[in-house]
Amino acid sequence: MLKKHPLIGFTLFGVVLFLLSNRVDELRVFQGATVAIYVIAIASIILLTGYSGQVSLGHGALLAIGGYAAALSRNHWGAPVWLTFCIAVLAAALGGYFLGLAAARLSGPYLAGTTLALAIGLPSIANQFPIFGGEQGLLYDIGAPPASLGADFTQYKWYFWIASLAALISIYWLRNVMNSRYGRNWKAVRGNDVAAELAGINVGRNKVLAFTVSAGLAGLAGALLAMTISTVSPGAFPLALSFSLATGAVLSGVTTLGGVMIGAVTLVAIPEIVDTVVSRFESSETVANNLPGLLVSTLLILTVLFVPNGPVEQMRARHEKRAKR
Amino acid sequence: MAQFINMLLIGIGAGSIYALMAIAMVLVWRSTRVINFAQAGMALLSTYIGFELVQKTGNFWIALPLAMILGALFSALVEILLIRTLIKHSTSGPVAGIVPIIATLGLLGFIRAMIGFIWGNQDIQIQPPLSKVGFKFGEETISLSPMNLLVLLTVLGMVLVLGFIFQKTSLGLSLRASAYSPEIAQLAGIRVGAIRTIGWAIAGAAGAAAGLLQTVNGTGAVSPDSLEFSLLLTFGFIAAVIGGLESLPGAVLGAVVLGLVLAAVQIYISGTLVFIVAFALLLLVLLVRPQGFIGTKAGRRA
Repeated sequence: MLKKHPLIGFTLFGVVLFLLSNRVDELRVFQGATVAIYVIAIASIILLTGYSGQVSLGHGALLAIGGYAAALSRNHWGAPVWLTFCIAVLAAALGGYFLGLAAARLSGPYLAGTTLALAIGLPSIANQFPIFGGEQGLLYDIGAPPASLGADFTQYKWYFWIASLAALISIYWLRNVMNSRYGRNWKAVRGNDVAAELAGINVGRNKVLAFTVSAGLAGLAGALLAMTISTVSPGAFPLALSFSLATGAVLSGVTTLGGVMIGAVTLVAIPEIVDTVVSRFESSETVANNLPGLLVSTLLILTVLFVPNGPVEQMRARHEKRAKR
Repeated sequence: MAQFINMLLIGIGAGSIYALMAIAMVLVWRSTRVINFAQAGMALLSTYIGFELVQKTGNFWIALPLAMILGALFSALVEILLIRTLIKHSTSGPVAGIVPIIATLGLLGFIRAMIGFIWGNQDIQIQPPLSKVGFKFGEETISLSPMNLLVLLTVLGMVLVLGFIFQKTSLGLSLRASAYSPEIAQLAGIRVGAIRTIGWAIAGAAGAAAGLLQTVNGTGAVSPDSLEFSLLLTFGFIAAVIGGLESLPGAVLGAVVLGLVLAAVQIYISGTLVFIVAFALLLLVLLVRPQGFIGTKAGRRA
């Protein structure tokens, strides 16, 4: 039933999440919100890399566009929260459209390097123009949760509800897009762009479209990320964020949306694991500073060496092989 | 006028170091068709090793070649252990194109973490071996110190040596043949695998030199998160790409152009804009002349 009616599955999962959010403590709720945000951001990379064959190492920059757009519209026009999210999506999608125009003409390593240069370059703009608030950045306050939810409804729970609702809707929507004409076109372009062109697919336009949609999702993730930390600043979107997201996408498996949770949960779990290890063994500050990086990069290298298509795809391939026998 | 001359001097000085980095990128690209995003990380590691060697030997000019040799060994090791396995594992499929990119990024993170473990996250300081006060011409002090001059000459020397190796020796011929067509080179009796490793090793040495020279040319301080290495990472790549990614003279030309443009931005507009201007320059070159300054159209088939 769930296979046929994914909406029921998504709704059930959402209900479970909401029930869970009442059971666990504040920290877990906050981490849950972060997982939901990473799910959106990683899905946007999977859409771009896995479904249209373009690599972006600069998704942090697109998240930053979303975050700043949301904060600016909130601070200057007093836009309602839902509208700031829409503006974030539109602004990032516009940025992604222009980047996509350039990207459609680039391939593989060229695109990776270009997006990387963007991720390093974009934050410096924030320091150049006073409207972006320099190093300190801008406040982004979505306000307290509505009173109708009760007095003991905490701020973090409010963040979690917004973020996970956004994630559920995004993934459901993305899943449908992937199974639509556009998704098939993207897959065709990824598989072999010459063949796709011969089959009547406009390769350039499809690549730009994929970049635009991906950037829009990244913008949403950026606005949500800004929401959970109440500010946007260049420091909130460091190069490390772009790398983590790329890592998350690879761990999830870039060719399928099915594993998107794996990468998101791993990204949130690693600092938690490091904290536990450090406090258990009373390790030094050096270990605390460098262990997360070590774990992430080791995982990344091992994944590309042994399960380059991601764990979900790997299991499916093995399953199919067994079924054939 | 003095400002303009200073701009030229700063630009060429910075560009010469980017050139080493770009050469390393080009060598790796030509030998294995991989853009090594870990190049700056490897340069950083070599710089730390160079720092230890300076401490031990007390002489920068002994430490530099030693660090370059160690950098070359490390780079060769990476090629043998990581890149070969990678290329063997993934030759087809939708992810084949992105796997090397992700792997070298992973390597970058790994090297940074290891440096953090060994040396901590504090700055280390390398004393420049020569004075960094600019030469005087009458009243004016120009932006060219004995240190800058030496960096420039060292880079020039290395580029000439590399050029000689590439054009005049049989090793250079093998390197060029393997880059041009691995299969044909193999049939002609060249051990392509070994040649690839040598390409990586030379790249490691060039990167090590870039890291050490960049450090003593700049503030002399290095930390795993220092700006100088974001500079090397981004600008080395940009210089290599605008130069054409296939040719060594192209890489040098791209690096000098990049250095001059950035120096002009720094002096006449604002220092905070360099990254975004570099990005704009990269985008412009890729859109207008995707094969780079030096390079043929067919060369850009990735």
